[in-house]
Amino acid sequence: MFKCCLHSQLQFRSETSLESDHLMGSREPIVLIFLILISTYESSAKGGIAEELNEEFTEGLLLRPLPDRKVLAHFHFQSSVPPTRIYGRHHHLFPKSIYQLVNKFRVREMELSFTQGRWNYERWGGYDPISSSSAKPPGVELWADFDVPLDQVDDSWRNLTHALSGLFCASINFLEHSTSYSAPQWSFHSFAGKLRYGTLPREAVCTENLTPWLKLLPCRDKAGLSALMDRPSIYKGYYHSQRLHLTSDDFGTAKSNAGTMLEQTLTVVLQPNTLGARAMVSGKTLQPSWSLNSLFGRKVHGKCSVSKSSNVYVQFEQNLVSELKEVRKKSEAPESGILIHDDFGNNTIFEMSASPDRVVKEVENLQKEDSSILLEFLVEDYNDSKPFDLGLRWKLPVVWSCQQAPLHASRFLMGSGNERGAIAISLKSLSSNNTPTVGCCEKGSQLRINIFQVVPWYVKVYYHTLKVFIDGELQSTMENIEKIHISPSEDKVSPGVMEMILRLPCGVITAALTLEFDKGFLHIDEYPPDANQGFDIPSAVVSFTDFQASASFEDNLLNKLPILNELQERKHVISYTEVLLVPLTTPDFSMPYNVITITCTVFALYFGSLLNVLRRRVGEEERRLKSKAAKKKGPLTSLLSKLSAKLKGRPVEPPETPSTSPSLINNKLVLKVILVAGIAAGWQYYFR
Amino acid sequence: MAEISEASSTSTTDPDFDPETMRKSKPGLKRLSLTLTVLFSYLLGLPFLLKSIEIYRSPLPFREIDDLSTAIESSPIIFPCHFRAVFVNFDPNSYTADQLSVSVQAYMAKLATKNSPACGTCASNFTVYVTIDSNSNCISNGNNVDWKCGALNEFKVAEKRDDGLLDEYLESVFYNNNNNNNNSNGKVYTVVVVKTEEEEVSAVVGKYRHAWIMGRVFEEQAVEKIAEIFVKVFVNGGKEEGLIHGELMPVGADGKIVLSFNLLNADPHDWIYDWDFREIDENLLAPIIAALKPLADVSVESQVLYHTPKASFSIWDDKLDSYIFSTKDLPFFVNSNEWHLDTSVAAGGRSKILQFVVYVPSAKECPLRLQLPNGEISTTNGFISPMWGGIVVWNPSACLMDSKLKHPLRRKISPEDSRKVFEIFMGQLRQLFGLKSDGLFVGASGTSVLLASERGFSEWELDVLSRQHSCFNLLQCGTTLGSISRLVQSLPRMIIMDDIGKQVKYSLEAAKLTLSNASLGIYDASAESSRQARLLAEDAFYHPSMMSVSYYSFEHCFAVYSPFFLPVTLHVLLAVLREWKRYKQESKKYNAWQAKVK
Repeated sequence: MFKCCLHSQLQFRSETSLESDHLMGSREPIVLIFLILISTYESSAKGGIAEELNEEFTEGLLLRPLPDRKVLAHFHFQSSVPPTRIYGRHHHLFPKSIYQLVNKFRVREMELSFTQGRWNYERWGGYDPISSSSAKPPGVELWADFDVPLDQVDDSWRNLTHALSGLFCASINFLEHSTSYSAPQWSFHSFAGKLRYGTLPREAVCTENLTPWLKLLPCRDKAGLSALMDRPSIYKGYYHSQRLHLTSDDFGTAKSNAGTMLEQTLTVVLQPNTLGARAMVSGKTLQPSWSLNSLFGRKVHGKCSVSKSSNVYVQFEQNLVSELKEVRKKSEAPESGILIHDDFGNNTIFEMSASPDRVVKEVENLQKEDSSILLEFLVEDYNDSKPFDLGLRWKLPVVWSCQQAPLHASRFLMGSGNERGAIAISLKSLSSNNTPTVGCCEKGSQLRINIFQVVPWYVKVYYHTLKVFIDGELQSTMENIEKIHISPSEDKVSPGVMEMILRLPCGVITAALTLEFDKGFLHIDEYPPDANQGFDIPSAVVSFTDFQASASFEDNLLNKLPILNELQERKHVISYTEVLLVPLTTPDFSMPYNVITITCTVFALYFGSLLNVLRRRVGEEERRLKSKAAKKKGPLTSLLSKLSAKLKGRPVEPPETPSTSPSLINNKLVLKVILVAGIAAGWQYYFR
Repeated sequence: MAEISEASSTSTTDPDFDPETMRKSKPGLKRLSLTLTVLFSYLLGLPFLLKSIEIYRSPLPFREIDDLSTAIESSPIIFPCHFRAVFVNFDPNSYTADQLSVSVQAYMAKLATKNSPACGTCASNFTVYVTIDSNSNCISNGNNVDWKCGALNEFKVAEKRDDGLLDEYLESVFYNNNNNNNNSNGKVYTVVVVKTEEEEVSAVVGKYRHAWIMGRVFEEQAVEKIAEIFVKVFVNGGKEEGLIHGELMPVGADGKIVLSFNLLNADPHDWIYDWDFREIDENLLAPIIAALKPLADVSVESQVLYHTPKASFSIWDDKLDSYIFSTKDLPFFVNSNEWHLDTSVAAGGRSKILQFVVYVPSAKECPLRLQLPNGEISTTNGFISPMWGGIVVWNPSACLMDSKLKHPLRRKISPEDSRKVFEIFMGQLRQLFGLKSDGLFVGASGTSVLLASERGFSEWELDVLSRQHSCFNLLQCGTTLGSISRLVQSLPRMIIMDDIGKQVKYSLEAAKLTLSNASLGIYDASAESSRQARLLAEDAFYHPSMMSVSYYSFEHCFAVYSPFFLPVTLHVLLAVLREWKRYKQESKKYNAWQAKVK
């Protein structure tokens, strides 16, 4: 079975999302936070006006070793342009096609992602900003919010899908049918009905989608960090997701100076080349050593000359940092009171080929003393004669695991046969100590989970059959659901959409939702060419509204760097479930013609026999039969009797009286049987 | 049946009766008529069946389409033109106005016949009025000639030698006259001949619809020159043969042009140049767009691209102290792999996009110059590609300094430089439209100066363009409609939607309107309606439902209906045949019996 499961993150920008879950209860802290927010906004706006408004382009690359011997590479490019009313419509850096797209269809916000492979939430993490924003469902996912009157939103969406389809060489135009997209009300984003969401789970992603994506960068893949994108290297990875996120406030009344911003990210998970056997130290396998050259087969020859900043970061996650400390304590003398980032170039555990220009530590406001560390490398100082090739070599084996999402979400089908089945979404707590579930979920509080699921119309879900199981026991549905919105599917018009906020008690181990469905029948024209492969149900989006996936860094200067801004953006923890594959009954596609042929043949037979009966002369036929019987036998029978006589060697007998005829009939019968047997034998012989 | 059995029973009684060959009763017609009824009702049902499986075809006016396309192809549309020659300071007694008019017309006819009547010209459909202004009195040969006597005396032609001022002055004179008379019957082109004492004879074509000749000229000489200016400049647009053909008018089928300006930095490691396109757009391009309004909707967009090397090679030339690319390299100059001069999202499907490219060479090929086939260096350092656009190589001043900087230089192209570059682009745009870009017209009877308009196109040039444009559009419309009609007639099982029928109808109407406007000499309106005609014709041709021909073909129909109709037809026909045969046989028997009885 073809099964894919990906998770990713949607950005929740509603005002309520700014409230941290700790401040939920009381009113005052919220007011305070707003005050702070407003004041910071004002100061930043003033600063923005003071400096000259201009287009900007930045590039960044974040590398992170993953626990399962792989490496995550996250490219981040951002182009921004001031609003049209100040800056005009002629640009120097911002891609013309995207600007025209935004203006023509009045797009306020849009996200398009092309993904191949499935993000492994258990191994690669489900709690950090990258997994929440760049883990996406397989295939294409597109959502867009328009600044047009409500009745024109669908038209804008259709035109946009066609334009994007042409721009990115993908079949995004299949999202134009009202059966393939939906309008989420509140769970996905809070944009008053002007948002449209659609996915194409089966879209194949390859270089023809990457090349147009690269064309939007001023340096394409000619210079800068994007020069690393060697197609064979990035497509042989375990996960590949290219994303394009667009925000614009050219429209509307808000007189902000944010303008239009285009954020492009490419997230790949690669397996470093470990030549030969794995290196072993004291019985444990070492993590693979890697360098940019070994990962991508290329080096960085300086930055893209029009980019404002061009940095490479290596991130050591929180769990890895504490593990490193442990390992060091064991291996070194007790005088290792020095902080871990004192000697990042070369220490007893690993060695980096270049020493970082700066070390940034995450400020963890909540619990642990250990926090993730970012090593910053500036690409500006490198050039053709001195290319930048960052390498990481492990000296001691280290084992760690990633931060997990509060609950692990998965979705599967139940039931068998081509008639009915059930969809189940299961949420499982990963009972390890390093999940933040324990810390966040206080006594008496409840865990709120937002589920958004779109089901195509031919899977007819009976929403009244919704059942909630908590820790394996059936629970009352109404008690556990805080808010639910359902728009049932309409045949051949719209898909079924379910949005709900699930309230789970603290310390829940497993929770499951089941929904029963009937499989519908499609019209013969509606089947895709490979109908027997089955039909995809797009991924459900599970977001944990009580948890924020964001990191904050100690250095305030870093706020200007978009790649770190992306990490610091406050977003909910989001995971995508697997794509489901539902086999539907597929008809015999030659059926209509067969039916036509059989019906027509039956009609023709009926018609012909009716005509024959009408012109039959019964009396005459009877008379004929009588006269025939009275007459002698026909020439053929006499010939046959002569032949048999000759064979028997007897003289030809005179024609017999009717009394002897039965034996002759028997002879005839035998001859007929022999004839049929001969034909059958011949048939067998020739057509074997 | 009854009769036959009866006959057989009676046969024993009658010795003459042979039941094999005779019968006593008349053969019945019951079964024959029954089978025939079935056959006929079957045949009658066929039209109903055909009607039920008929596909919808909107009726198209095939005959009108054919009429239109034959009309357009046989005779290109000819506009009426009105000319006026004013002879100032000439002696009215040597030649009369009529004589001059006749001789000008004779010369013009000679020039016009030399080149076959091109599309959108006047051919022989013109009128010439002549006025002789001899300071004291004026003599004209037409009643609607409105030349204010002694108008030029006020201006004191001889003293002021400024062509621009004279041009404006003449315009004010003619404009006033035109306004007073409210003479809307087309536009009148004027040549003013002023006899002065100067030896040198100069001819200047102004920005509006007039030209003037000054100097010591005589009537014969003047007449020849006037005829040439009328025919070669005002009617044909001063084009030389071998330049871009008029049919390659770079206007999209929907009457839109997108001017896409691109600044290409070949290698941003060396230097990055930027431009202030907003200012250029507002100051330099806006008047041109306004001027071209009757011809096409022009929109402007710009982008700056980086890492865009050219695809051809250049060689260092010591003598010229620069890198040289020759005209042979031009086909390979545009690097379509790296120059992603995107098609515009803003432009609809059939708009024409003209690319204008400023190429900033990298340090290792700077300065880069274009060498002409005669070995000289091109002054514009640019070239055009018809229907694609133009390219200008702009060498930054920094390349002469030859300093390898560590950080790339970020600069703006200075306003003077960008003005120069855009002047070259204007010339290229004029060339793309098939007009001259050097401001000189060299005719058989001497050189004329063409005054350049600050709007890029002078009024008489726009007239030429709109005449050609309407003619070309009409031709295109005729061919497209002809193709539609041929296509529709050749595919009898193609569905034709009502939309297509309507579009064809409106297109024909617009084409007729164009023809009538053209015959009245209203250039703008005919350009507009011809554009409409072409757009509608193309819309009809590219209508998405035209693709439905692939569905419900005849084979499909045959496959669906043959399982029923083939066997049934067989039954019905055989039944009729058998019954007919039997009837003939039986009536023969009856006749035999009848004969015997008698």
